[in-house]
Amino acid sequence: MATFTLKSFTGLRQSSPDQTSFVSHVPASPNLANRKLRVAVIGGGPAGGAAAETLAQGGIETILIERKMDNCKPCGGAIPLCMVGEFNLPLDIIDRRVTKMKMISPSNISVDIGRTLKEHEYIGMVRREVLDQYLRERAEKSGATVINGLFLKMDLPENWDTPYVLHYTEYDGKTGATGQKKTMEVDAVIGADGANSRVAKSIGAGDYDYAIAFQERIRIPDDKMTYYEDLAEMYVGDDVSPDFYGWVFPKCDHVAVGTGTVTHKGDIKKFQLATRNRAKDKILGGKIIRVEAHPIPEHPRPRRLSKRVALVGDAAGYVTKCSGEGIYFAAKSGRMCAEAIVEGSQNGKKMIDESDLRKYLEKWDKTYLPTYRVLDVLQKVFYRSNPAREAFVEMCGDEYVQKMTFDSYLYKRVAPGSPLEDLKLAVNTIGSVFRANALRREIEKLNV
Amino acid sequence: MSISMALFSPPISSPLQNSNLIPKISLSLLSTKRLSLVSLTRASSDNGTSTPASATTVEAPTPKPVSVEEVLAESPSASENGAVGGEEIDMTTTMMTEIKFQDAKWVNGTWDLKQFEKEGKTDWDSVIVAEAKRRKWLEDNPETTSNDEPVLFDTSIIPWWAWMKRYHLPEAELLNGRAAMVGFFMAYFVDSLTGVGLVDQMGNFFCKTLLFVAVAGVLFIRKNEDLDKLKGLIEETTLYDKQWQAAWKEPESSSSSTVSSKK
Repeated sequence: MATFTLKSFTGLRQSSPDQTSFVSHVPASPNLANRKLRVAVIGGGPAGGAAAETLAQGGIETILIERKMDNCKPCGGAIPLCMVGEFNLPLDIIDRRVTKMKMISPSNISVDIGRTLKEHEYIGMVRREVLDQYLRERAEKSGATVINGLFLKMDLPENWDTPYVLHYTEYDGKTGATGQKKTMEVDAVIGADGANSRVAKSIGAGDYDYAIAFQERIRIPDDKMTYYEDLAEMYVGDDVSPDFYGWVFPKCDHVAVGTGTVTHKGDIKKFQLATRNRAKDKILGGKIIRVEAHPIPEHPRPRRLSKRVALVGDAAGYVTKCSGEGIYFAAKSGRMCAEAIVEGSQNGKKMIDESDLRKYLEKWDKTYLPTYRVLDVLQKVFYRSNPAREAFVEMCGDEYVQKMTFDSYLYKRVAPGSPLEDLKLAVNTIGSVFRANALRREIEKLNV
Repeated sequence: MSISMALFSPPISSPLQNSNLIPKISLSLLSTKRLSLVSLTRASSDNGTSTPASATTVEAPTPKPVSVEEVLAESPSASENGAVGGEEIDMTTTMMTEIKFQDAKWVNGTWDLKQFEKEGKTDWDSVIVAEAKRRKWLEDNPETTSNDEPVLFDTSIIPWWAWMKRYHLPEAELLNGRAAMVGFFMAYFVDSLTGVGLVDQMGNFFCKTLLFVAVAGVLFIRKNEDLDKLKGLIEETTLYDKQWQAAWKEPESSSSSTVSSKK
């Protein structure tokens, strides 16, 4: 009797996958007969770890596949304050608390930021290998299975209820040995495998523009390290990067000096030399202990989900412009996507479909699109040219700007300021931009 | 070699009291520095006597930088792909004192306004020109920032009317002149074609629209390149939104579309 009704359901549902995927969720997806929903999370970074934990806690059979358990992902490593609270991170994961920042303009005018921070506010600097490992362990404790393997490709299902077949190489903890080729059948996949996502390629998600971030880890003498105790620096200028910034971020016992660019990737070494030159006095006598580079997505992929596969984190392209922040958004999107799956499947009892995953996209866009837009505008206006960068650094000296910037960065909310202050800020911005451009015209006159 | 350079420096500084830039000549790493040193002596106004002296010292650093450049060029290439090497940054070994920005009026990281006084009042124009020169110098010869000598200059100490007088007013004059010429000619032209006088033209809606277009054109299109720049700007403002909305569009039947900016 039950199977008969099930068959009639499948007959009804057969037509829907071919339609466009904006059909409102038909609550007729049948319960899974005698098993829980199986979801694979590809990639064990912040996005994958957070997604796997939420899925497992929601009662879903979760498998997390990560290719390198001790991966030191090249990364700035900065997390906002709200991440510590939202993800219950233990405080010993944070190597340093940055409470001061220095912005340095092309003409070396430097501005100190951080006066408006309260006692308990800071930017946390973490080591990615520590953070990623912690989140994966938590997922495992919640019931997820963590597999050390490399995802190769996946076979897309023909029907709405046939599983995805994942092809992967399992390493089984042995390093250096070639692993075993294996396959796995799952009902849904979360692609959290980063900027060069293979899951994205499998579903034809499309490409995005990306920046190259190049970083050198430098161990500097102790007396110079005290300067960077709780201070991070940002250098802007045409010599450092034509469309991004160079940075000196303090890590556990060394500093990371790096820069990035979208448009002039071939000149990245030149930009790195320039960044080191600008910080030269402060990192003199340092030893380079590691050189690393990684692509950073500039905008989301054209398709962030397809049927029962969704992309999160860097794989989806959730890195903000202007600051290049990605860790928090990766973890949050992993969690949001997992929550949508848990809800759509009613804690693993039902099969899900694309409309459940679309709910995650809707929620994500609604919550964070304003933030992304604001940062995009900031990048377009202030990273354009040297005069714009000079104006930017000048503006950062303003206390109101500092307060708004830190509020929105640390708590991820676009806080409405007071209209009078906003007006003053607008006037000051126009003034700074005007002055900087006037000086640029003066420079051009000198060139003649 | 450094001794010979030290011998050169005293004769340069003594005869010149108002020299704009006294280059600290020393080992320069990048070849651009040598070129800019020569061009700098050309650009500075009253450095006439220093030109022959500095020209000869330019030759001196040539043999040294090559070896230093080689060493530096090796370390990044050797340590590519995340290899954990123990490369020492060659800054300690080269003992470079680069040519830093120096000016008699640049004191403690800011312009000493007292030195810019003319007839008892600060000559803001020369402050603006001096800052422009400093920025140009730094663009050509990026310098390290230093905690001991921080740059503290803030352009907002120059009063707003100084900026207005120097930049806004001449441009406003130019644009108003253009608008007046266009306006006069168009008024005459429309009058000759339609017989509608100036006062009646102002009452007509179509003429008012033309006036608006003319004013906007004069304001926004100042050079021929501005037309293309404006088109690019409009596309730029909507691009990011389009990239985000792509996930909500109907998937095309052919392979996935890419909405990427053309760079």
